[in-house]
Amino acid sequence: MFFLADKSTLFKERNFFLPFNKLNSTQEYKQSLPVLSTVFRFMLYKTNVKSLLVTAAIVSWALLLGNVLLMAESARQPGSVKLALPYLNNLLIIVFIVSVFIFQRLSANSLKGIDFSSYLWNLFSKAAIAAYLSIALYFAYRISTGYARLQSPLLLHLVYQVNFGLLVFFLAKAFYIWRQLLLYHKNRFLQVAWEWFEILLFSTLVLTLLNFNYTNYIFLPLFILMGLYVLFLCTNLKWVAYLSFNKKSRSLVLLGAILVSCYIFTKFFQEFADSPALIIDYSDVAFLTMSMLFVGCYTLAAFLVSLFSLPTSSVFEQKSDDLLNFQRLSQSIQQGQSEAQVYDLLFESTIKASDASSAWFETSRGNNNIHISHLLNINAEKIERIRHLLMAYNIQQIDYINNNLDRNTGFRDLALPWKSLIILPIKSKQRMFGTLYLLRDIEQGFDRETINVLRTFTSQTVLTLDNLRLAAESLQNERYKEELKIATQVQESLVPKTFPSDSWFEIATHSKAAKEVGGDFYDFLQLSESRIAIIIGDVSGKGISAAFHMAQMKGIFHGLMQQDMPPSDFMKQANSALSRCLEKTSFITSSLYIIDYRMQGFVFARAGHCHTLYYNAMMEDVFYFQTDGLGLGIVRDKSYNNHVREMYYDYNPGDVMVIYTDGIVEARSPTNDEYGEDRLKYMLTQTYHLEAEDIKCAIINDLEDFTSTDNLYDDQTLLVIKFKPIQQKPDNNVK
Amino acid sequence: MKITQDIKDSTIIMTLDGELDASSSVVLDEELSDPEIMKYKKILVDCRNLNYISSAGLGVFISHLQRFEDAQIKLIFFNMQDKVRNVFEILGLDLLMTIVSNYEEAITIADE
Repeated sequence: MFFLADKSTLFKERNFFLPFNKLNSTQEYKQSLPVLSTVFRFMLYKTNVKSLLVTAAIVSWALLLGNVLLMAESARQPGSVKLALPYLNNLLIIVFIVSVFIFQRLSANSLKGIDFSSYLWNLFSKAAIAAYLSIALYFAYRISTGYARLQSPLLLHLVYQVNFGLLVFFLAKAFYIWRQLLLYHKNRFLQVAWEWFEILLFSTLVLTLLNFNYTNYIFLPLFILMGLYVLFLCTNLKWVAYLSFNKKSRSLVLLGAILVSCYIFTKFFQEFADSPALIIDYSDVAFLTMSMLFVGCYTLAAFLVSLFSLPTSSVFEQKSDDLLNFQRLSQSIQQGQSEAQVYDLLFESTIKASDASSAWFETSRGNNNIHISHLLNINAEKIERIRHLLMAYNIQQIDYINNNLDRNTGFRDLALPWKSLIILPIKSKQRMFGTLYLLRDIEQGFDRETINVLRTFTSQTVLTLDNLRLAAESLQNERYKEELKIATQVQESLVPKTFPSDSWFEIATHSKAAKEVGGDFYDFLQLSESRIAIIIGDVSGKGISAAFHMAQMKGIFHGLMQQDMPPSDFMKQANSALSRCLEKTSFITSSLYIIDYRMQGFVFARAGHCHTLYYNAMMEDVFYFQTDGLGLGIVRDKSYNNHVREMYYDYNPGDVMVIYTDGIVEARSPTNDEYGEDRLKYMLTQTYHLEAEDIKCAIINDLEDFTSTDNLYDDQTLLVIKFKPIQQKPDNNVK
Repeated sequence: MKITQDIKDSTIIMTLDGELDASSSVVLDEELSDPEIMKYKKILVDCRNLNYISSAGLGVFISHLQRFEDAQIKLIFFNMQDKVRNVFEILGLDLLMTIVSNYEEAITIADE
């Protein structure tokens, strides 16, 4: 059968979310719901329903044919037994119509997209062709019977029956394809109106079932009302507007062919209406008349609307082209296009939008450095002449429209083939990107509407270019971040990870930078077997510049301390070295300690750095060393030498020295209080008996409790050194 | 940070209000770099409401210190809070700069 042609597409169906009202197997489907997985069942369900419908249609049609032939046979031979059941026909007709229509309803759902002419082609090639087939069949019958000069009611019935099948198939297909088009850009009201139409239409089947004559005067007003309803539905033809000129003309041909199909079917069935030769008359089926009315009306409406909108379609095409170009412009950022590509797009779109006959585009690079990047139907010599004239008038690179160049003497003298000119500068607040010149060979070439569109294009271009720049900048920022990460790693490698472990002292360190790189540092150098130099420092400021100076200071420390000098001498020389390379507003604070365990003492100098916190185990006292000392880089001449002091101190086993940077004592609490020297001192009085590592942890924990946020304002460094009693040499222990 | 200037004859009284951090130091540096300021012989800095000074803020004063000295302009800080004064002292700046306790003292020293 004809609808079998569609069967091959059945299994390609992927639309699982179709409406499933009015279907016989809904009940079964609902019962099986908990058993099968949803998607799989939908698929099975749809495929099953479709094959069920196809089977129902074939069986009902075949039974109908059989019954009609039987009836015809018995009508011819009055004496024979009446085997056929006349009321069965109506039932079979209804089953056939309903199954074909529902089948098409399901199939039509798969049509998607806005290529409407393909809908029409689909309808024509799969269904409307049936009308031509039916007429061919009818003529074949006429010729064969005419040739053989015989009357064959059975053959006539067969032809009539086949044509009935073709008609129903055509109507069902057309009905649901028109539905798809009619409901394009639908609103709620239209959706409801359509649903009611479908319900009303299907309800007319009841008339057929009960064998009412619908042309009866009782039903006549109702059918007139229904006809008006159909006319109302036929006004929904929004899709026609979306056809381009070419597609519209192609659609006109297809619509004409479909219209002819409608005519053929109508004519055929009218001819046989109330024919005495036939025992069945399908023109009595109200449903078919109504649906033919709808299909015919809608096809005619679509045909006429397409025909009359043909001349205006170019306007609509232009607008949708503009819209598409706007989209392309604004999307060029996501597509990672370059500035040059954006200019290409601008040049192309503005020429299309204004229908310019000639154009050129200049990109500006800085001061008066202009480069002509795009040309259309114009040579460099003419451009040069126009530019000279514009320069004389002092109107280059500003918005300028001249819709009648001949009226201007300057332009008239140039004898240009153009009559209208528009200049569109492409510029943002910060930057001039370029200038677009469009020329037309007619007067009043750039009307208000066109200018508005052109301006929208240029402003969109500026926006796009700005956004492109922003995108590039953010990419650059990403790179900086990556490089900063490397800087962090480099700086981390500058901080000593392990101190020499020795039996006479232990050391614990903590350091945390507020930013990726910091200005705090500490380091050590083993001067001789019994002497070690430890330095701590803090560069003013934070971030990269501080990190550079910190690296510099580390270099100075290692360079100078190779010569093993007293701390005060180190400070003097370091100050002199830094004076030459530190910028004016920067300075460094530092403290240098040289510990000699053989002498059980240390010597240190402080250059503006935080006071050293100390616990003396002998006197059980915690105090700060109060010594003078000016920061490095503050006084940049010899007078610095008067500002640095050195101090000797003998330590006892169990003494604790706490060295830190101002990030510790100036750390803030949420209420903006400073941690302070007093609290640090108190912490040491509570913890001096612990190991160096534990003292450090206790202080840092207390500090973190105090600040209670992860947000560091300044770099923090803390070193805890605990002196231990001199151990007996291992070999002494053995003895 | 709010910086206000009050001019009396050959004296500028500069009042610092708030926290002198990295960003407000830039403003202070601009004010001190103003060539107009070199016309005056005395710059008195009122630190009563200066709650915090960062190393960047100290750096600004340090960078101008030499210039003012060369031009024989007296730079005097007064009314300084203890914790801010402590910062100056730790760095050793109290030996380089004149820091006094109140306005009267500042005027007396400035007029010497």
